[in-house]
Amino acid sequence: MHQDTGGIVPEVAAREHLRAIDALTEKALGDAGCQLTEIDAIAATVGPGLIGCLLVGANYARGLALSAGLPFVGVNHLEGHVYANWLEEREATPEPELPAVVLVVSGAHSDLVLMEAHRRFRPLGRTIDDAAGEAFDKVARLLHLGFPGGPIIERVAKAGDPKAFPLPRAAVADRFDFSFSGLKTAVLRLVRELEKKGEVPVADVAASFQKAITEMLAEKTARAAAEHAVQTVLLGGGVAANLALREEIARRIGHPLRVPSPALCTDNGAMIGAAAFFALRHRGTEIPVAVRSDLKLA
Amino acid sequence: MLLALDTSTEWASVALFDGRDVLGEETWRAQRRHGDELFGAIERLLLSTRTALASVDRIAVATGPGSFTGLRVAIAAGQGIARGSGASLVGISTLDVLAYPHAPSKLRTCPLLPAGRDQYYAAFYQERNRKWQRRSPFIVATLPELSRQIGTHTLFVGELDAEVETTLRDLLGPNAIFASPASRMRRAGYLAELGWKELESTKQVKMAEIEPLYVRQPSIRVSFDQPFAPPPTDERALGLPKRS
Ligand SMILES: [Zn+2]
Repeated sequence: MHQDTGGIVPEVAAREHLRAIDALTEKALGDAGCQLTEIDAIAATVGPGLIGCLLVGANYARGLALSAGLPFVGVNHLEGHVYANWLEEREATPEPELPAVVLVVSGAHSDLVLMEAHRRFRPLGRTIDDAAGEAFDKVARLLHLGFPGGPIIERVAKAGDPKAFPLPRAAVADRFDFSFSGLKTAVLRLVRELEKKGEVPVADVAASFQKAITEMLAEKTARAAAEHAVQTVLLGGGVAANLALREEIARRIGHPLRVPSPALCTDNGAMIGAAAFFALRHRGTEIPVAVRSDLKLA
Repeated sequence: MLLALDTSTEWASVALFDGRDVLGEETWRAQRRHGDELFGAIERLLLSTRTALASVDRIAVATGPGSFTGLRVAIAAGQGIARGSGASLVGISTLDVLAYPHAPSKLRTCPLLPAGRDQYYAAFYQERNRKWQRRSPFIVATLPELSRQIGTHTLFVGELDAEVETTLRDLLGPNAIFASPASRMRRAGYLAELGWKELESTKQVKMAEIEPLYVRQPSIRVSFDQPFAPPPTDERALGLPKRS
């Protein structure tokens, strides 16, 4: 649906969430072969995000929790992306070792976080303008490639030369903050120039852009990992599914890197469940209930 | 036992109704905090009436027209409670709730709720052949547009501030009658009565079909051609969900 509008219209999204939420809940219980009576807690995202959408999920979940006599666990969406890394066991280390540096990159977020222990997060940096995923979307639109931009750019870039066009890596005052608007403008200018000359080499532009943005993300992630003596580097969010980004980060760090499978990188309910599981297990910190569109990682 | 939830506008209300009497009710000005305050109000209501949620087997939610974001709070909560408890769920128009207590007045009644940009949600209710009914589609219009269609005494209820009252008096003179401020407010007790009646006569619809009345702007055209005719049979044409 969001492909038709080239993005997400908040009111449309909230309407569709309300239409879908009960049937989805029923289906999830059915697919899991599970009765409501076998459940221990009900969790829902309480932020950050679009307020109209958050309110639908959180109020449905609180109603469900109240009537089923279960605790309600409000989950920070970003914490969900972090805990997506706990959904799959890897052979050597079943669970990621802490402390860890986490990079959450999606269409809405570009956050670099220090995870000191379970449920203890310290923000290191974030984007001061566009989210990384937004930059992918905008460049994809500029190249007439469609929406969402991340997977399309990645596919097209495979056939291109990442060194074809030099693009700027933004310098940001705060050491761990990101800025992608300069890069976006540079790509725009480049494409307009190429258009004047004739055909735009779409694959080369996509590859050069991807190279620039992944280097910016990887450089700060690697520096944060080196400076904070962590055990692991974790990725999360839709952009973390990008293979070029994983390779760029892996190349620069001396730590084990963990990334959820692509389906668990993009927004999903399982990661909210994982975050709620650890919220109930490590009750030292407060569990949020109220919906906040601008919720931050504590 | 029926639990009624209304978060249609900046005023919110919850009530418990046993089929005959309202056992408890809370009406408050939530502004934009419905999402944070609704469950506190529900829990207080259950506690003060010593009611276990398990005994609630019916839920009524207000479906607007009103603030879309606000409406979805009570509707989503109602769906969640119904899913967990197996209670049956019904949606009732917020304008129906506002007009309902004024049925004995026998006056043509027009509830108004702010729709933003100087517009109001409205509908007209009147008794005819001893039947109190909504006689118009749901309308979105400015007060002057609305007043052009009013040729006779009309009782105004709903969220009318002093300015709205003055405007309507200027536009309509003695044809504009106003219910007292307390009696023109929305209370979930009335929603509960209407919801109970509705559930007596209709069977449970799919939960996903209970959603806000997304009244679209063009509905004013349809309504003003025949301002007080019964609503057309195909309510989809007016942006209203299908009745089942
Ligand atoms: Zn996300």
